[in-house]
Amino acid sequence: MKKLLTLALALAVSTAAYAQVEVGKPAPNFTLKDCSGKEHSLTDFKGKTVVLEWVNHGCPFVVKHYSAGNMQKLQKDATDKGVVWLSVCSSAPGKQGHMAAADAGKKCAEVGSNATAYLLDEDGKVGQLYGAKRTPEMYVVNADGILVYHGAIDDKKSTDSADIAGAKNFIATALEELAAGKSVSTPKTEAYGCSVKYAN
Amino acid sequence: MALLGIGVGRGQEFEGKRLVAASLVSSASAIVPGKPFEVGLLLEMASGWHTYWEYSGDAGLPTRIAWTLPEGFVAGPIQWPAPEAKVEPGDILTYAYGDQVLLITTIVPPPDLVASSPVTLKAKASWLVCLEICIPGSADLELSLPVGAASQPENASLFDKFRAQIPSPENPPYSLAWARTGGDLTLTVGGLAAGEAISLFPLAAPNQEVGHPKSLGADSVKIPVAGPFRGVLSIGEGALRRSWYVEDGASQPTPVTLAAPAPATTGLWTALLYGLLGGLILNLMPCVLPVISLKIFGFMKQAGEDPRKILIHGLAFMAGIFAWFLGLAILVIALRAGGAEVTWAFQFQNPWFNVAIGSVVFVFALNLFGVFEIVLPGQASTALESAGSTGGLAGSFFQGIFATLLATPCTAPFLGTALGFAFGQSAVVILAMFASVATGMALPYLLLSAKPGWMKFLPRPGAWMERLKQFMGFPLLATLLWILSILGGQRGVDGVLWFGCFLLSLAFACWLYGSFCGPLAKVRTQVIALALAVLSISAGGWFFLGEKFASGQSDKADEIAWVAFSAQKLQALRESGQTVFVDFTADWCITCKFNERTAINTPAVRELLTSRGVVPMKADWTNANPEITAALKAFGRVGVPFYVIYSADAEPIVLPELLTEAIVLEALKKLP
Repeated sequence: MKKLLTLALALAVSTAAYAQVEVGKPAPNFTLKDCSGKEHSLTDFKGKTVVLEWVNHGCPFVVKHYSAGNMQKLQKDATDKGVVWLSVCSSAPGKQGHMAAADAGKKCAEVGSNATAYLLDEDGKVGQLYGAKRTPEMYVVNADGILVYHGAIDDKKSTDSADIAGAKNFIATALEELAAGKSVSTPKTEAYGCSVKYAN
Repeated sequence: MALLGIGVGRGQEFEGKRLVAASLVSSASAIVPGKPFEVGLLLEMASGWHTYWEYSGDAGLPTRIAWTLPEGFVAGPIQWPAPEAKVEPGDILTYAYGDQVLLITTIVPPPDLVASSPVTLKAKASWLVCLEICIPGSADLELSLPVGAASQPENASLFDKFRAQIPSPENPPYSLAWARTGGDLTLTVGGLAAGEAISLFPLAAPNQEVGHPKSLGADSVKIPVAGPFRGVLSIGEGALRRSWYVEDGASQPTPVTLAAPAPATTGLWTALLYGLLGGLILNLMPCVLPVISLKIFGFMKQAGEDPRKILIHGLAFMAGIFAWFLGLAILVIALRAGGAEVTWAFQFQNPWFNVAIGSVVFVFALNLFGVFEIVLPGQASTALESAGSTGGLAGSFFQGIFATLLATPCTAPFLGTALGFAFGQSAVVILAMFASVATGMALPYLLLSAKPGWMKFLPRPGAWMERLKQFMGFPLLATLLWILSILGGQRGVDGVLWFGCFLLSLAFACWLYGSFCGPLAKVRTQVIALALAVLSISAGGWFFLGEKFASGQSDKADEIAWVAFSAQKLQALRESGQTVFVDFTADWCITCKFNERTAINTPAVRELLTSRGVVPMKADWTNANPEITAALKAFGRVGVPFYVIYSADAEPIVLPELLTEAIVLEALKKLP
C-alpha cells in the first residue's frame, strides 16, 4: 500500500498539465487534427456553442450510446441547430480506442457519427488539459467560450442500452437551455465510463 | 464444483478466456425459518482483471446483484469488503478487487417458512471487469438450500476471510483528527503501531466531487472534497488489514451496520420547543427539587422587599441558569471542534466531581439544619439588606448556577431527542438549543419575579419559615444519598464509606465554625475553632479521600444476568439469531435507576427474558466509554437512559425513556 501511495503521489506530482477547467471559467483553447488531417482549434468556433465528447469506441459505455443510436441522434439534433460537436479520442497508440486517421474516418462512417469532427489526441495533452478521465465525458462550451457543463451524458450509470430511454440526458437539456438564453441548470455531474486510455 | 453450499456458477468469456467465474455461496448448510444467514456472490477474476467497489472512483461500475427470492424472503444490501486502489495512466484512480472477492448479503427467511423441498434463491449479478479495457458481464445464478430446524456453517474460511475485510461501523481504536484547509480535507490518525500503513477510500455521494487521496506521511492522508466526507479507513495490509467506516465532523452521524433508525430530521423549531419543555420539566426532576428549596427561600425573603428588586433577583437567577447552559454550550462546541466525545452529563462520570458536589450538598444541608450560619452574599441577612442589592444579586446568580448544575444528568424524554439533534449541528444551533433549555428552566422564576403580584400567593414570612428551612435540608440529604449511590457504582461500598468518613470530618468542622465563630464569640475562641475546623477538614480530606477513597474499586451486583456491552459481542449475538435487549444506563442517571428498579428488574420481566431467550445486555456508561458513546450516537442520542431491543429479523425496537413494566413486557411478548 505504501508503494501504491508513493506511486500515486509521484503520478500526481508528475502530471504536467493539471486540469484547469472549471465550470464558469473560459474553456482552454486547443488545436487538434481530425480524420482527414485538417486542424481545428476551439477558437475557430467562437460565437457558437461547442460540445466536446470524449470517446473510445471500444469502451462498453460508449458502445451503449452508439449502438442504440442515441449519440448519433444527439449529434444530429445539435448540429442541425448550429451547435458544433467535436468527438475527441485521447487514447494513446497501442491502447483501446486508438485509431490511425484513416481508420478513424472509416469507423465514424461505420457507426454513423454525425459529429462535426472526430479529433485525434494521441499524446493525450488535450485530455489532460480538460481533466478528461472517462469515456464518455462531456463538456459544453457556450458561444462566449465559457465552460457551462461538465460531466456525464445522462443520469443512468450503466452499460445497458435499455437504460437510455428512461434517463435524463444532460446534454440535450443543456443545449435547450442555452438556445432559450437561459443558464444551464445542472452544470456539473459526475461522469461515468471507462478510463481514458492515456499513455503509460 | 460439487461442494455443499455453492450454487451453480457461470462465467464470463472473452476471446476464449474466462475472465470472471461467478457463483453464489452459502454460509449455512440449511435455511432455518426466521434465522438470517449470509449468502455471498463469489467473483473469481482472471489474473490482472478487476471488478469494482461500491464507489468505483474515476471510472468503472460497481457490481450489482438483483435478487429473485421466494415469498417472504428479504435480502439486505451488499456488505462490501474494503477495496484496493488501482492507478491508471493519466492520473486515473479506481477502487476495485482483483483475483477473488466475496460480496456478502444477509438473507432473512420468513419465520413461518414451511418447505419440504429445497428452496432456490436466484440472483442476477452484473459487473464491469477491466484490465486496460473494460467488458461488462453478468450471470444468472442460483443457490438451492434445504430447509431445516438447524444448520451448520459452510464455507466458513471463505466467509471469514472476506468478512474480516468488511469495514466496521464502530469508531476505530485510533484517534482521528480531521482538518480542512481550502478544498482539502486532511485526516491524521493517532495511535498507529510503527510501520502500520493507512489507506483512505472515499464513498462519494451522487455528484459529489472527490479527488484522489494523497499520503502526507505515515499517519496522515489528504483528500480534496467538498461537503461532508464519508469513506473507509483501512489500517494494515493484506489479510491482516482492518477497516472502519469513517466520516469527518461535518457530516451527520449516519448509522451503518447496526441498522439503527436515522436521527430524526427534527425541525429546528420543534427541537427548540422540546428544549424549552425539557427545561421546564427539569424543574420537576428529583435532582433539582431539593435545590428549589433554596430558590423558594430566597424569593420568600424577598417577598417583603421592593418589587423591582425581586424582578432583578429573578433576572440574576435566570442569568445564572443561562450562564451555566451557555458555558456548557461553549465547552461542548470547543470540545467538539477538538474531536472529543462530549456528551450530556459528562461531569458526573468523574468520581472526584461527585465527591466535590456531594460535599457541597452536605454542607448546604447542615446549614439548613442550623448547624452553622453562612454569611454568604445572597443570604438576605439584616446586615446585608441595608448594604444594598449588589451582594444579593451575586447570590441569586450563583443559586441559578447551582440549580442547573445538579439538573444535568437527568435527561428528560424531550431533552434526549432535542439534544441528539443539537449535537450533530453547528455551533449556532447548539447555542440556541442550550438557550432554549435554560429558558424553560428559568421561566417559572422569571414569571414569579416579574409579576410580584403573584407573590401574593406565596406565603408571608414568619416563624414557620425556620421550620421549612430546616425541612428543606432533607431533600438535600436525599440528593447526597443519590450521589453516594453513584459513587457506590464508581468506587464500591468502601468508596462510599471513606467518603462518609470525610463528610463526618466536614460536619465536625461545620459544627466548630457554627458554634464558636459567631459574631459574639471572643477572637481567641474564634481563631482556635477555625484552626481546629481547618485541621479537621484537611486531615479528613488527606486521609479519607487521598489515601482510602482514591484507591477504591467498584463493585456491582444485580439480579438479572447482564452481559457487558460490546459492539462486537452484540453483532455476534445478532448474527447467531439471538434477540438482545440493550439497556444503556449509568449510575448517576436517576431515571435509569428508577426504570431498572420498577420496570426491568421485576420478576415478570426476568421470567420473560429467560423464556424468550433474550440476552440482556447492559451498556454501563457511568465512566466515560467511547464504544457506548458511539453506539448511542448511531441512534442520534447523546444521553441515557436508552433502551433497544434488537430482534433477529426486524428493525431494532426503541423503548421510551420513561419505562413501565407493562411497556417492557409488551415489547418482549411481541418478539417471535
